[in-house]
Amino acid sequence: MRIIDTSTGEKHSVDILPVEIDEFKTLRKDRYFFDWKIEKNQEAYKLLIKGSSDILGLVSIERIPQEWRIHIRLLTVSKENKGKEKKYDKIAGNLIAFVAKIAIREFGELACVSLRPKSQIARHYIDKYNMNITGMTLSIEVPEIIDLINSYDND
Amino acid sequence: MTENKKNIMDAEYGIDSRYKSNKERESEATALMEARLRRMKNLSKDQITKAKLLQLKLKMEEYIKNPVCDNQNYFSDFLKTYIDSIYSKRSTFAKDIDIAPVSLSQVINNHREPKEEFILKLMIHSEKVYKNVCEFHKKTWYLVYFHEKICDKMSNQEQWRPEIEKHVQVSEAI
Repeated sequence: MRIIDTSTGEKHSVDILPVEIDEFKTLRKDRYFFDWKIEKNQEAYKLLIKGSSDILGLVSIERIPQEWRIHIRLLTVSKENKGKEKKYDKIAGNLIAFVAKIAIREFGELACVSLRPKSQIARHYIDKYNMNITGMTLSIEVPEIIDLINSYDND
Repeated sequence: MTENKKNIMDAEYGIDSRYKSNKERESEATALMEARLRRMKNLSKDQITKAKLLQLKLKMEEYIKNPVCDNQNYFSDFLKTYIDSIYSKRSTFAKDIDIAPVSLSQVINNHREPKEEFILKLMIHSEKVYKNVCEFHKKTWYLVYFHEKICDKMSNQEQWRPEIEKHVQVSEAI
């Protein structure tokens, strides 16, 4: 899994690792947009360039095994990776693909990843990640979830 | 620029998908499940097989990354899943890799160790099968096999060590 330096086009391999309990207090809202401290009892992961300790993206999830589903609670990129001037591209995509891998590993052909973006930005996720829409919920399942995983694994 | 356009440009800065109440969660879960079940009915056999094979690959990778030392037979369990995901009869797989069905059965049921040739054939078979599914590293089966072997030998030292140790000495002490 790799992210792209938008200024040079260089690709960097990334690690996606569990957020340590002590790290939550260092995840400031002015860099990561949400109050991550209140996610400290949730399953949360951080994205870093291999060998670096700077967190570029975060995701917290809820496993719902009775529905063969993983729900993305919060997802964010760091401030400098937001918008047109972002330093690195594909951070959010890698985080979603990582969650998709957990879903497939746990639930196989029944796997589903869901999230609920604001209605103004839902179209972006539908188009970019080939998600389905049901009411307020976007979801990705087989077969699209396999294409998503492959596109981020084989980049 | 309108607020909407700004939001769309910044669509990936983040999402807060947390449910505000149980009622909201339950009503959305019901609607989502109904929609998913409708879509699942349209899945082809091929799409289901690909999902099962990707699941198996991810499980093997997870095992290689974090080998679990317990009494489970990971290699043969993964092998069973692999064969049963693709074939309706295990004997067809045995034929495809040119081994006797009884030998395959003995490996699957842990009555004999897989020979090196068996693992090599399995490696080549998997390369061909996974070509149209996802990236699959050729080392995978070997790594699973040896990780399990190492865990097994290290955690059962009391069984093999006393006898083996009788035949080991260091005649030139350091």
